[in-house]
Amino acid sequence: MTALTATLPTPRLVGADLLKLRRRRGLVAVVALLTVGTVVIANVIKELLHLSNSVTQGPAGGVTMLGHMAWTISALGAVAAAIVGSTSGSGDLDAGVYRDLVVTGRSRLALFASKIPAGLAFLVPFVAAAYALEAAASVVLAGGNPVPSIYLLTVTGLWTLLSVVFYYLLALGVACLVGSRSYTIGIVLAWRLALTPLLATITTLGVARELVPGVALDRLLPAALHDAARQGPRVGMSIAAVAAVLVVWAVAAVVAGAWRDTTRDA
Amino acid sequence: MWAAPPGRTVGAMTTQAFDPTSGDVLVVETAGLTKRFGERTVVASVELQVPRGVAFGYLGPNGAGKTTLIRVLLGLTPASGGSMRLLGMAVPERRAEALARVGAIVEEPRFHGHLTGRENLAIVAAARGRYAAARIDGALERLGLAARADDRVGTYSLGMRQRLGIARCLLADPELLILDEPMNGLDPAGIRDFRAFVRDFVAEGRTIVLSSHLLDEVEKTCDHVAIVDQGRVVVQGSIAALRDGGEHSVLVEVDDRPRARALLGAHPAVARVVDDGAALRAVLLDSESVPDLNTRLVDAGLRVARLEPGRASLEQRFLEITTRLENAA
Repeated sequence: MTALTATLPTPRLVGADLLKLRRRRGLVAVVALLTVGTVVIANVIKELLHLSNSVTQGPAGGVTMLGHMAWTISALGAVAAAIVGSTSGSGDLDAGVYRDLVVTGRSRLALFASKIPAGLAFLVPFVAAAYALEAAASVVLAGGNPVPSIYLLTVTGLWTLLSVVFYYLLALGVACLVGSRSYTIGIVLAWRLALTPLLATITTLGVARELVPGVALDRLLPAALHDAARQGPRVGMSIAAVAAVLVVWAVAAVVAGAWRDTTRDA
Repeated sequence: MWAAPPGRTVGAMTTQAFDPTSGDVLVVETAGLTKRFGERTVVASVELQVPRGVAFGYLGPNGAGKTTLIRVLLGLTPASGGSMRLLGMAVPERRAEALARVGAIVEEPRFHGHLTGRENLAIVAAARGRYAAARIDGALERLGLAARADDRVGTYSLGMRQRLGIARCLLADPELLILDEPMNGLDPAGIRDFRAFVRDFVAEGRTIVLSSHLLDEVEKTCDHVAIVDQGRVVVQGSIAALRDGGEHSVLVEVDDRPRARALLGAHPAVARVVDDGAALRAVLLDSESVPDLNTRLVDAGLRVARLEPGRASLEQRFLEITTRLENAA
Protein backbone atom coordinates (compact mmCIF):
# COMPACT_ATOMS: atom_id res chain seq x y z
CA MET A 1 0.00 0.00 0.00
CA THR A 2 1.45 3.33 -1.02
CA ALA A 3 1.34 6.42 1.15
CA LEU A 4 -1.25 7.93 -1.16
CA THR A 5 -3.63 4.99 -1.22
CA ALA A 6 -3.35 4.67 2.55
CA THR A 7 -4.90 8.11 2.89
CA LEU A 8 -7.78 7.42 0.52
CA PRO A 9 -11.13 6.36 1.96
CA THR A 10 -12.19 2.83 1.11
CA PRO A 11 -15.75 1.98 0.09
CA ARG A 12 -16.12 0.21 3.46
CA LEU A 13 -15.15 3.35 5.34
CA VAL A 14 -17.56 5.44 3.31
CA GLY A 15 -20.28 2.87 3.91
CA ALA A 16 -19.58 2.95 7.66
CA ASP A 17 -19.84 6.74 7.77
CA LEU A 18 -23.04 6.62 5.75
CA LEU A 19 -24.43 4.03 8.17
CA LYS A 20 -23.79 6.37 11.12
CA LEU A 21 -25.88 9.05 9.40
CA ARG A 22 -28.75 7.07 8.00
CA ARG A 23 -29.36 5.24 11.27
CA ARG A 24 -30.07 8.52 13.03
CA ARG A 25 -33.84 8.62 12.72
CA GLY A 26 -34.10 12.20 13.93
CA LEU A 27 -31.56 13.36 11.37
CA VAL A 28 -33.34 11.55 8.56
CA ALA A 29 -36.66 13.09 9.59
CA VAL A 30 -35.29 16.63 9.88
CA VAL A 31 -33.44 16.51 6.57
CA ALA A 32 -36.47 15.01 4.82
CA LEU A 33 -38.67 17.74 6.24
CA LEU A 34 -36.26 20.53 5.28
CA THR A 35 -36.00 19.32 1.71
CA VAL A 36 -38.73 17.07 0.33
CA GLY A 37 -41.25 18.03 3.00
CA THR A 38 -40.85 21.73 2.39
CA VAL A 39 -41.37 21.38 -1.35
CA VAL A 40 -44.44 19.20 -0.92
CA ILE A 41 -46.00 21.43 1.70
CA ALA A 42 -45.29 24.64 -0.21
CA ASN A 43 -46.69 23.33 -3.49
CA VAL A 44 -49.76 21.79 -1.89
CA ILE A 45 -50.61 25.02 -0.07
CA LYS A 46 -49.94 27.16 -3.12
CA GLU A 47 -52.03 24.94 -5.38
CA LEU A 48 -54.90 24.76 -2.90
CA LEU A 49 -54.90 28.54 -2.65
CA HIS A 50 -54.90 28.78 -6.43
CA LEU A 51 -57.77 26.33 -6.74
CA SER A 52 -59.77 28.18 -4.11
CA ASN A 53 -59.25 31.60 -5.72
CA SER A 54 -57.56 31.62 -9.10
CA VAL A 55 -58.03 35.40 -9.48
CA THR A 56 -55.81 36.48 -6.62
CA GLN A 57 -53.65 33.36 -6.31
CA GLY A 58 -51.52 32.29 -9.24
CA PRO A 59 -50.63 28.67 -10.09
CA ALA A 60 -48.07 26.77 -8.02
CA GLY A 61 -45.86 26.19 -11.06
CA GLY A 62 -44.03 28.24 -13.63
CA VAL A 63 -40.63 29.94 -13.87
CA THR A 64 -41.11 32.43 -11.05
CA MET A 65 -42.30 29.77 -8.63
CA LEU A 66 -39.34 27.63 -9.64
CA GLY A 67 -37.07 30.54 -8.72
CA HIS A 68 -38.73 31.02 -5.34
CA MET A 69 -38.56 27.33 -4.55
CA ALA A 70 -35.00 27.01 -5.80
CA TRP A 71 -34.07 29.69 -3.28
CA THR A 72 -36.07 27.87 -0.59
CA ILE A 73 -34.43 24.52 -1.36
CA SER A 74 -31.04 26.18 -1.41
CA ALA A 75 -31.57 27.97 1.91
CA LEU A 76 -33.15 25.06 3.75
CA GLY A 77 -30.73 22.72 1.99
CA ALA A 78 -27.94 24.77 3.55
CA VAL A 79 -29.58 24.25 6.94
CA ALA A 80 -29.74 20.52 6.25
CA ALA A 81 -26.14 20.59 5.04
CA ALA A 82 -25.06 22.33 8.23
CA ILE A 83 -26.81 19.69 10.34
CA VAL A 84 -25.49 16.75 8.32
CA GLY A 85 -21.99 18.20 7.97
CA SER A 86 -21.70 18.93 11.66
CA THR A 87 -23.02 15.49 12.57
CA SER A 88 -20.66 13.82 10.17
CA GLY A 89 -17.66 15.89 11.22
CA SER A 90 -18.03 15.72 14.97
CA GLY A 91 -20.12 12.56 15.42
CA ASP A 92 -17.19 10.29 16.24
CA LEU A 93 -15.73 12.85 18.64
CA ASP A 94 -19.05 13.43 20.36
CA ALA A 95 -19.62 9.70 20.75
CA GLY A 96 -16.05 9.21 21.99
CA VAL A 97 -15.24 6.62 19.34
CA TYR A 98 -12.74 8.64 17.34
CA ARG A 99 -9.86 7.20 19.33
CA ASP A 100 -11.15 3.69 18.69
CA LEU A 101 -10.96 4.36 14.97
CA VAL A 102 -7.50 5.89 15.27
CA VAL A 103 -6.11 2.88 17.16
CA THR A 104 -6.99 0.65 14.24
CA GLY A 105 -3.94 2.16 12.56
CA ARG A 106 -6.05 3.51 9.71
CA SER A 107 -4.80 6.84 8.37
CA ARG A 108 -6.53 9.75 10.07
CA LEU A 109 -6.73 11.44 6.71
CA ALA A 110 -8.65 8.48 5.31
CA LEU A 111 -10.99 8.59 8.31
CA PHE A 112 -11.65 12.25 7.57
CA ALA A 113 -11.88 11.94 3.81
CA SER A 114 -14.49 9.18 3.96
CA LYS A 115 -16.91 11.66 5.54
CA ILE A 116 -17.07 13.70 2.34
CA PRO A 117 -18.62 11.10 0.03
CA ALA A 118 -20.61 9.57 2.90
CA GLY A 119 -22.25 12.85 3.88
CA LEU A 120 -22.98 13.74 0.29
CA ALA A 121 -24.39 10.27 -0.36
CA PHE A 122 -26.76 10.91 2.52
CA LEU A 123 -27.67 14.53 1.75
CA VAL A 124 -27.75 14.81 -2.03
CA PRO A 125 -30.58 12.29 -2.62
CA PHE A 126 -32.88 14.32 -0.35
CA VAL A 127 -32.02 17.57 -2.15
CA ALA A 128 -32.24 15.93 -5.56
CA ALA A 129 -35.62 14.43 -4.71
CA ALA A 130 -36.87 17.78 -3.42
CA TYR A 131 -35.72 19.53 -6.56
CA ALA A 132 -37.13 16.81 -8.81
CA LEU A 133 -40.52 17.29 -7.15
CA GLU A 134 -40.27 21.04 -7.56
CA ALA A 135 -39.19 20.72 -11.18
CA ALA A 136 -42.18 18.50 -11.89
CA ALA A 137 -44.51 20.84 -10.02
CA SER A 138 -43.17 23.87 -11.88
CA VAL A 139 -44.15 22.21 -15.16
CA VAL A 140 -47.30 20.33 -14.23
CA LEU A 141 -48.80 23.13 -12.13
CA ALA A 142 -47.69 26.00 -14.39
CA GLY A 143 -51.22 26.83 -15.46
CA GLY A 144 -51.02 30.09 -17.42
CA ASN A 145 -47.49 30.89 -16.20
CA PRO A 146 -44.42 30.43 -18.44
CA VAL A 147 -43.19 26.83 -18.28
CA PRO A 148 -39.47 26.44 -17.48
CA SER A 149 -37.39 24.91 -20.21
CA ILE A 150 -35.41 21.71 -19.80
CA TYR A 151 -32.22 23.77 -19.85
CA LEU A 152 -33.49 26.08 -17.12
CA LEU A 153 -34.64 23.13 -15.01
CA THR A 154 -31.27 21.45 -15.41
CA VAL A 155 -29.16 24.51 -14.64
CA THR A 156 -31.31 25.48 -11.68
CA GLY A 157 -31.07 21.95 -10.34
CA LEU A 158 -27.30 21.94 -10.66
CA TRP A 159 -27.14 25.32 -8.95
CA THR A 160 -29.24 24.02 -6.06
CA LEU A 161 -27.03 20.96 -5.67
CA LEU A 162 -23.87 23.04 -5.90
CA SER A 163 -25.12 25.32 -3.15
CA VAL A 164 -25.95 22.43 -0.83
CA VAL A 165 -22.71 20.58 -1.55
CA PHE A 166 -20.73 23.74 -0.85
CA TYR A 167 -22.38 24.29 2.52
CA TYR A 168 -21.92 20.63 3.42
CA LEU A 169 -18.16 20.90 2.82
CA LEU A 170 -18.07 24.13 4.81
CA ALA A 171 -19.96 22.56 7.71
CA LEU A 172 -17.82 19.41 7.66
CA GLY A 173 -14.61 21.41 7.79
CA VAL A 174 -15.85 23.68 10.57
CA ALA A 175 -17.16 20.71 12.57
CA CYS A 176 -13.80 18.94 12.44
CA LEU A 177 -12.05 22.19 13.26
CA VAL A 178 -14.10 23.15 16.32
CA GLY A 179 -15.10 19.61 17.31
CA SER A 180 -18.62 20.62 18.27
CA ARG A 181 -21.86 19.90 16.47
CA SER A 182 -23.89 22.71 17.99
CA TYR A 183 -21.25 25.39 17.46
CA THR A 184 -20.88 24.32 13.84
CA ILE A 185 -24.59 24.55 13.12
CA GLY A 186 -24.68 28.00 14.70
CA ILE A 187 -21.64 29.23 12.78
CA VAL A 188 -22.75 27.95 9.37
CA LEU A 189 -26.35 29.09 9.70
CA ALA A 190 -25.34 32.51 10.95
CA TRP A 191 -23.01 32.82 7.99
CA ARG A 192 -25.49 31.56 5.41
CA LEU A 193 -28.73 33.09 6.60
CA ALA A 194 -27.66 36.28 8.37
CA LEU A 195 -24.19 37.46 7.42
CA THR A 196 -24.24 36.61 3.70
CA PRO A 197 -27.34 38.68 2.84
CA LEU A 198 -26.13 41.45 5.12
CA LEU A 199 -22.68 41.65 3.52
CA ALA A 200 -24.18 41.43 0.04
CA THR A 201 -26.22 44.59 0.64
CA ILE A 202 -23.33 46.71 1.98
CA THR A 203 -22.36 48.41 -1.26
CA THR A 204 -19.45 50.22 0.35
CA LEU A 205 -17.66 46.88 0.54
CA GLY A 206 -17.39 47.02 -3.26
CA VAL A 207 -15.57 44.12 -4.85
CA ALA A 208 -14.78 42.66 -1.43
CA ARG A 209 -18.32 41.28 -1.50
CA GLU A 210 -17.19 38.92 -4.23
CA LEU A 211 -15.26 37.01 -1.58
CA VAL A 212 -18.50 35.98 0.10
CA PRO A 213 -19.43 32.53 -1.21
CA GLY A 214 -23.17 33.25 -1.08
CA VAL A 215 -22.65 36.21 -3.36
CA ALA A 216 -20.64 34.06 -5.74
CA LEU A 217 -23.36 31.39 -5.72
CA ASP A 218 -25.99 34.01 -6.52
CA ARG A 219 -23.95 35.02 -9.54
CA LEU A 220 -24.44 31.51 -10.94
CA LEU A 221 -28.21 31.72 -10.79
CA PRO A 222 -29.82 31.39 -14.23
CA ALA A 223 -30.82 34.81 -15.53
CA ALA A 224 -34.24 33.46 -16.50
CA LEU A 225 -35.18 33.17 -12.83
CA HIS A 226 -34.71 36.93 -12.55
CA ASP A 227 -34.65 37.97 -8.91
CA ALA A 228 -36.94 35.22 -7.68
CA ALA A 229 -34.06 33.16 -6.29
CA ARG A 230 -31.82 36.01 -5.17
CA GLN A 231 -31.25 37.20 -1.59
CA GLY A 232 -29.41 40.43 -2.23
CA PRO A 233 -28.31 42.64 -5.10
CA ARG A 234 -26.52 41.06 -8.03
CA VAL A 235 -22.77 41.60 -7.80
CA GLY A 236 -20.99 41.40 -11.10
CA MET A 237 -18.33 38.66 -11.12
CA SER A 238 -16.64 36.62 -13.79
CA ILE A 239 -17.30 32.88 -13.79
CA ALA A 240 -13.61 32.32 -13.09
CA ALA A 241 -13.84 34.56 -10.02
CA VAL A 242 -16.96 32.71 -8.87
CA ALA A 243 -15.23 29.35 -9.28
CA ALA A 244 -12.12 30.60 -7.49
CA VAL A 245 -14.10 31.93 -4.52
CA LEU A 246 -16.11 28.74 -4.09
CA VAL A 247 -13.12 26.44 -4.54
CA VAL A 248 -10.92 28.41 -2.14
CA TRP A 249 -13.60 28.48 0.55
CA ALA A 250 -14.41 24.79 0.18
CA VAL A 251 -10.78 23.70 0.03
CA ALA A 252 -9.84 25.91 2.96
CA ALA A 253 -12.63 24.46 5.09
CA VAL A 254 -11.78 20.88 4.15
CA VAL A 255 -8.03 21.36 4.65
CA ALA A 256 -8.57 23.04 8.02
CA GLY A 257 -10.84 20.20 9.13
CA ALA A 258 -8.43 17.56 7.88
CA TRP A 259 -5.50 19.26 9.59
CA ARG A 260 -7.35 19.38 12.91
CA ASP A 261 -8.47 15.77 12.63
CA THR A 262 -4.98 14.53 11.87
CA THR A 263 -3.25 16.50 14.60
CA ARG A 264 -5.65 16.48 17.52
CA ASP A 265 -5.07 14.38 20.62
CA ALA A 266 -7.54 11.55 20.15
CA MET B 1 13.48 -12.84 36.63
CA TRP B 2 12.06 -9.72 38.22
CA ALA B 3 13.18 -7.10 35.76
CA ALA B 4 13.10 -3.34 35.69
CA PRO B 5 14.55 -0.43 33.83
CA PRO B 6 18.17 -1.23 33.00
CA GLY B 7 20.80 0.17 35.27
CA ARG B 8 18.37 1.68 37.72
CA THR B 9 18.43 1.09 41.43
CA VAL B 10 15.30 1.41 43.47
CA GLY B 11 16.11 1.88 47.12
CA ALA B 12 18.03 -1.16 48.27
CA MET B 13 16.77 -3.26 45.38
CA THR B 14 18.84 -3.48 42.24
CA THR B 15 16.71 -3.99 39.17
CA GLN B 16 17.62 -6.04 36.18
CA ALA B 17 16.74 -5.52 32.55
CA PHE B 18 14.88 -7.94 30.33
CA ASP B 19 17.37 -10.16 28.57
CA PRO B 20 16.74 -9.99 24.83
CA THR B 21 19.09 -12.91 24.26
CA SER B 22 16.89 -15.23 26.30
CA GLY B 23 14.81 -16.10 23.25
CA ASP B 24 11.78 -14.14 24.43
CA VAL B 25 10.29 -11.47 22.20
CA LEU B 26 9.16 -8.12 23.43
CA VAL B 27 5.77 -6.99 22.21
CA VAL B 28 6.08 -3.59 23.85
CA GLU B 29 9.42 -1.92 24.30
CA THR B 30 10.02 1.70 25.20
CA ALA B 31 13.24 3.59 25.75
CA GLY B 32 13.22 6.89 27.58
CA LEU B 33 9.62 7.43 26.61
CA THR B 34 8.48 10.81 27.87
CA LYS B 35 5.28 12.80 27.59
CA ARG B 36 4.96 16.34 28.83
CA PHE B 37 1.96 18.63 28.89
CA GLY B 38 3.53 22.06 29.16
CA GLU B 39 5.79 22.02 32.19
CA ARG B 40 4.17 18.92 33.64
CA THR B 41 5.85 15.59 32.92
CA VAL B 42 3.24 12.85 32.94
CA VAL B 43 5.32 10.00 31.51
CA ALA B 44 8.90 10.25 32.68
CA SER B 45 11.54 8.39 30.70
CA VAL B 46 9.73 5.08 30.84
CA GLU B 47 11.64 1.92 29.97
CA LEU B 48 8.90 -0.65 29.58
CA GLN B 49 9.50 -4.19 28.41
CA VAL B 50 6.55 -6.49 27.90
CA PRO B 51 7.39 -10.05 26.85
CA ARG B 52 5.15 -11.99 24.48
CA GLY B 53 2.52 -14.37 25.81
CA VAL B 54 1.88 -12.87 29.23
CA ALA B 55 -0.82 -10.98 31.04
CA PHE B 56 1.01 -7.80 31.97
CA GLY B 57 -0.36 -5.45 34.59
CA TYR B 58 0.56 -1.78 34.40
CA LEU B 59 -0.09 -0.90 37.99
CA GLY B 60 -0.15 2.45 39.66
CA PRO B 61 -2.29 4.89 41.56
CA ASN B 62 -4.71 7.24 39.86
CA GLY B 63 -2.82 10.04 38.13
CA ALA B 64 0.36 8.00 37.77
CA GLY B 65 0.37 8.40 33.99
CA LYS B 66 -0.97 4.98 33.02
CA THR B 67 -3.55 6.15 30.52
CA THR B 68 -1.19 8.72 29.04
CA LEU B 69 1.43 6.05 28.39
CA ILE B 70 -1.17 3.92 26.62
CA ARG B 71 -2.29 6.90 24.54
CA VAL B 72 1.30 7.57 23.52
CA LEU B 73 1.89 3.91 22.63
CA LEU B 74 -1.20 3.90 20.42
CA GLY B 75 -0.38 7.16 18.68
CA LEU B 76 -3.36 9.00 20.13
CA THR B 77 -1.01 11.70 21.33
CA PRO B 78 2.60 12.25 20.28
CA ALA B 79 5.51 11.47 22.60
CA SER B 80 7.67 14.33 23.83
CA GLY B 81 10.76 12.16 23.76
CA GLY B 82 12.15 8.64 23.64
CA SER B 83 11.34 5.73 21.37
CA MET B 84 8.96 2.80 21.33
CA ARG B 85 8.29 -0.44 19.50
CA LEU B 86 5.07 -2.39 19.25
CA LEU B 87 5.26 -6.02 18.13
CA GLY B 88 8.88 -5.35 17.23
CA MET B 89 7.98 -2.44 14.92
CA ALA B 90 9.12 1.11 15.51
CA VAL B 91 6.30 3.50 16.26
CA PRO B 92 5.28 5.96 14.87
CA GLU B 93 7.31 5.01 11.76
CA ARG B 94 5.44 1.70 11.29
CA ARG B 95 2.41 2.59 13.34
CA ALA B 96 -0.27 1.42 10.91
CA GLU B 97 1.43 -1.94 10.43
CA ALA B 98 1.87 -2.47 14.17
CA LEU B 99 -1.62 -1.38 15.16
CA ALA B 100 -3.18 -3.71 12.60
CA ARG B 101 -2.54 -6.51 15.13
CA VAL B 102 -3.21 -4.54 18.30
CA GLY B 103 -6.56 -4.18 20.02
CA ALA B 104 -7.04 -1.47 22.60
CA ILE B 105 -9.52 0.12 24.92
CA VAL B 106 -8.49 3.51 26.24
CA GLU B 107 -10.41 4.63 29.30
CA GLU B 108 -13.99 3.42 29.14
CA PRO B 109 -15.16 1.91 25.85
CA ARG B 110 -17.40 4.33 23.95
CA PHE B 111 -19.83 3.63 21.13
CA HIS B 112 -22.42 5.23 18.90
CA GLY B 113 -25.47 4.76 21.11
CA HIS B 114 -27.90 4.96 18.21
CA LEU B 115 -26.31 1.97 16.48
CA THR B 116 -26.56 -1.68 17.45
CA GLY B 117 -23.65 -3.60 18.89
CA ARG B 118 -23.12 -5.34 15.58
CA GLU B 119 -23.19 -2.07 13.65
CA ASN B 120 -20.66 -0.51 16.02
CA LEU B 121 -18.33 -3.41 15.36
CA ALA B 122 -18.96 -3.09 11.63
CA ILE B 123 -17.77 0.51 11.74
CA VAL B 124 -14.47 -0.42 13.32
CA ALA B 125 -14.19 -3.44 11.03
CA ALA B 126 -14.46 -1.07 8.07
CA ALA B 127 -11.43 0.79 9.38
CA ARG B 128 -9.58 -2.43 10.13
CA GLY B 129 -9.78 -4.03 6.73
CA ARG B 130 -11.65 -6.67 4.83
CA TYR B 131 -10.91 -9.61 7.16
CA ALA B 132 -12.18 -7.85 10.27
CA ALA B 133 -15.82 -7.92 9.19
CA ALA B 134 -15.75 -11.70 9.07
CA ARG B 135 -14.74 -11.78 12.75
CA ILE B 136 -17.74 -9.83 14.04
CA ASP B 137 -20.00 -12.79 14.77
CA GLY B 138 -17.21 -14.77 16.42
CA ALA B 139 -16.22 -11.84 18.62
CA LEU B 140 -19.81 -11.25 19.73
CA GLU B 141 -20.21 -14.95 20.46
CA ARG B 142 -16.98 -15.14 22.44
CA LEU B 143 -17.96 -12.23 24.66
CA GLY B 144 -21.49 -13.53 25.20
CA LEU B 145 -23.20 -10.72 23.33
CA ALA B 146 -24.67 -12.58 20.37
CA ALA B 147 -28.20 -12.42 21.76
CA ARG B 148 -28.07 -8.64 22.19
CA ALA B 149 -25.99 -7.87 19.11
CA ASP B 150 -28.86 -6.28 17.24
CA ASP B 151 -30.01 -4.07 20.11
CA ARG B 152 -29.00 -0.43 20.23
CA VAL B 153 -25.89 0.10 22.35
CA GLY B 154 -27.72 2.89 24.16
CA THR B 155 -29.64 0.14 25.94
CA TYR B 156 -26.52 -1.76 27.08
CA SER B 157 -25.29 -1.85 30.67
CA LEU B 158 -21.77 -0.68 31.51
CA GLY B 159 -20.62 -4.27 31.81
CA MET B 160 -22.02 -5.11 28.39
CA ARG B 161 -20.23 -2.12 26.94
CA GLN B 162 -16.98 -3.35 28.46
CA ARG B 163 -17.51 -6.71 26.79
CA LEU B 164 -18.46 -5.08 23.51
CA GLY B 165 -15.27 -3.04 23.76
CA ILE B 166 -13.23 -6.21 24.04
CA ALA B 167 -15.20 -7.74 21.17
CA ARG B 168 -14.24 -4.70 19.12
CA CYS B 169 -10.60 -5.33 19.94
CA LEU B 170 -10.87 -8.93 18.77
CA LEU B 171 -11.74 -7.79 15.25
CA ALA B 172 -8.02 -7.21 14.78
CA ASP B 173 -7.23 -10.83 15.67
CA PRO B 174 -4.79 -9.09 18.01
CA GLU B 175 -1.42 -10.35 19.05
CA LEU B 176 -1.47 -7.65 21.69
CA LEU B 177 -4.42 -6.36 23.65
CA ILE B 178 -4.07 -3.12 25.61
CA LEU B 179 -6.86 -2.48 28.09
CA ASP B 180 -7.19 0.56 30.32
CA GLU B 181 -8.87 -0.21 33.65
CA PRO B 182 -10.88 -3.07 32.11
CA MET B 183 -12.47 -4.15 35.37
CA ASN B 184 -14.36 -0.89 35.83
CA GLY B 185 -18.08 -1.49 35.75
CA LEU B 186 -17.88 -5.27 35.83
CA ASP B 187 -19.89 -7.15 38.41
CA PRO B 188 -18.30 -10.14 40.24
CA ALA B 189 -19.46 -12.57 37.56
CA GLY B 190 -18.13 -10.25 34.88
CA ILE B 191 -14.76 -10.02 36.63
CA ARG B 192 -14.59 -13.81 36.87
CA ASP B 193 -15.40 -14.11 33.17
CA PHE B 194 -12.84 -11.46 32.34
CA ARG B 195 -10.13 -13.34 34.22
CA ALA B 196 -11.06 -16.48 32.32
CA PHE B 197 -10.90 -14.54 29.08
CA VAL B 198 -7.43 -13.27 29.95
CA ARG B 199 -6.22 -16.78 30.76
CA ASP B 200 -7.60 -18.15 27.48
CA PHE B 201 -6.21 -15.25 25.49
CA VAL B 202 -2.73 -15.66 26.95
CA ALA B 203 -2.93 -19.44 26.50
CA GLU B 204 -3.21 -18.76 22.77
CA GLY B 205 0.24 -17.18 22.92
CA ARG B 206 -1.08 -13.63 22.80
CA THR B 207 -0.30 -10.81 25.15
CA ILE B 208 -2.49 -8.57 27.27
CA VAL B 209 -1.36 -5.34 28.84
CA LEU B 210 -3.89 -4.02 31.29
CA SER B 211 -3.56 -0.90 33.33
CA SER B 212 -5.14 -0.76 36.73
CA HIS B 213 -4.93 0.89 40.10
CA LEU B 214 -6.32 -2.24 41.74
CA LEU B 215 -3.44 -4.25 43.21
CA ASP B 216 -5.58 -7.21 44.08
CA GLU B 217 -7.06 -7.48 40.60
CA VAL B 218 -3.70 -7.26 38.91
CA GLU B 219 -2.33 -9.93 41.22
CA LYS B 220 -5.22 -12.26 40.41
CA THR B 221 -5.27 -11.58 36.68
CA CYS B 222 -1.68 -10.99 35.60
CA ASP B 223 1.57 -12.90 35.71
CA HIS B 224 3.82 -9.93 34.97
CA VAL B 225 3.58 -6.41 36.25
CA ALA B 226 5.16 -2.99 36.05
CA ILE B 227 4.61 -0.66 38.95
CA VAL B 228 4.40 2.96 37.96
CA ASP B 229 4.45 5.97 40.20
CA GLN B 230 4.48 9.64 39.20
CA GLY B 231 5.06 8.74 35.55
CA ARG B 232 8.02 6.46 36.22
CA VAL B 233 8.20 2.68 36.06
CA VAL B 234 9.50 1.76 39.49
CA VAL B 235 9.92 -1.94 38.90
CA GLN B 236 8.74 -4.58 36.44
CA GLY B 237 8.85 -8.33 35.96
CA SER B 238 6.91 -11.43 36.94
CA ILE B 239 4.67 -11.23 39.98
CA ALA B 240 6.12 -14.43 41.40
CA ALA B 241 9.62 -13.02 41.19
CA LEU B 242 8.47 -9.79 42.79
CA ARG B 243 7.02 -11.65 45.72
CA ASP B 244 10.17 -13.78 46.14
CA GLY B 245 12.32 -10.69 45.98
CA GLY B 246 10.69 -9.31 49.10
CA GLU B 247 11.21 -10.00 52.76
CA HIS B 248 11.03 -13.59 53.98
CA SER B 249 8.66 -14.21 56.82
CA VAL B 250 7.03 -17.04 58.68
CA LEU B 251 3.53 -17.24 60.08
CA VAL B 252 3.28 -18.67 63.59
CA GLU B 253 0.11 -19.70 65.40
CA VAL B 254 0.56 -20.67 69.04
CA ASP B 255 -1.47 -20.95 72.25
CA ASP B 256 0.40 -18.15 74.06
CA ARG B 257 0.95 -15.35 71.60
CA PRO B 258 2.64 -12.80 73.95
CA ARG B 259 5.27 -15.32 75.07
CA ALA B 260 5.86 -16.49 71.53
CA ARG B 261 6.26 -12.92 70.38
CA ALA B 262 8.89 -12.29 73.03
CA LEU B 263 10.76 -15.49 72.23
CA LEU B 264 10.76 -14.89 68.48
CA GLY B 265 11.69 -11.24 68.87
CA ALA B 266 14.75 -12.20 70.87
CA HIS B 267 16.04 -14.56 68.19
CA PRO B 268 18.97 -13.10 66.21
CA ALA B 269 17.52 -14.30 62.86
CA VAL B 270 14.28 -12.37 63.35
CA ALA B 271 14.11 -8.75 62.27
CA ARG B 272 10.73 -8.05 63.83
CA VAL B 273 7.49 -9.70 64.83
CA VAL B 274 4.08 -8.32 63.95
CA ASP B 275 0.65 -9.56 64.94
CA ASP B 276 -1.39 -10.14 61.77
CA GLY B 277 -4.51 -10.94 63.76
CA ALA B 278 -4.83 -14.60 62.84
CA ALA B 279 -1.15 -15.33 63.54
CA LEU B 280 2.20 -13.80 64.36
CA ARG B 281 4.35 -12.85 61.38
CA ALA B 282 8.07 -13.10 62.05
CA VAL B 283 10.08 -11.22 59.44
CA LEU B 284 13.35 -13.11 58.96
CA LEU B 285 16.89 -11.97 58.35
CA ASP B 286 17.80 -15.57 57.59
CA SER B 287 15.26 -17.80 55.89
CA GLU B 288 17.18 -20.94 57.00
CA SER B 289 16.39 -20.29 60.64
CA VAL B 290 12.79 -21.55 60.60
CA PRO B 291 13.55 -24.99 62.16
CA ASP B 292 15.51 -23.26 64.91
CA LEU B 293 12.57 -20.98 65.65
CA ASN B 294 10.26 -23.98 65.87
CA THR B 295 12.62 -25.71 68.31
CA ARG B 296 12.81 -22.61 70.47
CA LEU B 297 9.02 -22.34 70.71
CA VAL B 298 8.52 -26.05 71.48
CA ASP B 299 11.35 -26.10 74.06
CA ALA B 300 9.64 -23.21 75.80
CA GLY B 301 6.53 -25.36 76.21
CA LEU B 302 4.39 -23.59 73.62
CA ARG B 303 1.92 -25.55 71.50
CA VAL B 304 2.61 -24.66 67.85
CA ALA B 305 -0.55 -25.06 65.82
CA ARG B 306 0.86 -23.60 62.59
CA LEU B 307 4.23 -22.67 61.21
CA GLU B 308 4.38 -21.80 57.54
CA PRO B 309 6.20 -19.47 55.16
CA GLY B 310 4.56 -16.11 54.88
CA ARG B 311 3.66 -15.35 51.28
CA ALA B 312 4.00 -11.66 50.53
CA SER B 313 1.16 -10.19 48.55
CA LEU B 314 1.71 -7.80 45.70
CA GLU B 315 0.24 -5.12 47.91
CA GLN B 316 2.88 -5.71 50.58
CA ARG B 317 5.66 -5.59 48.00
CA PHE B 318 4.16 -2.47 46.42
CA LEU B 319 4.14 -0.75 49.79
CA GLU B 320 7.69 -1.86 50.52
CA ILE B 321 8.91 -0.49 47.20
CA THR B 322 7.09 2.80 47.41
CA THR B 323 8.19 3.23 51.04
CA ARG B 324 11.80 2.78 49.97
CA LEU B 325 11.30 5.33 47.23
CA GLU B 326 9.79 7.82 49.64
CA ASN B 327 12.63 7.26 52.10
CA ALA B 328 15.20 7.66 49.33
CA ALA B 329 13.64 10.91 48.13
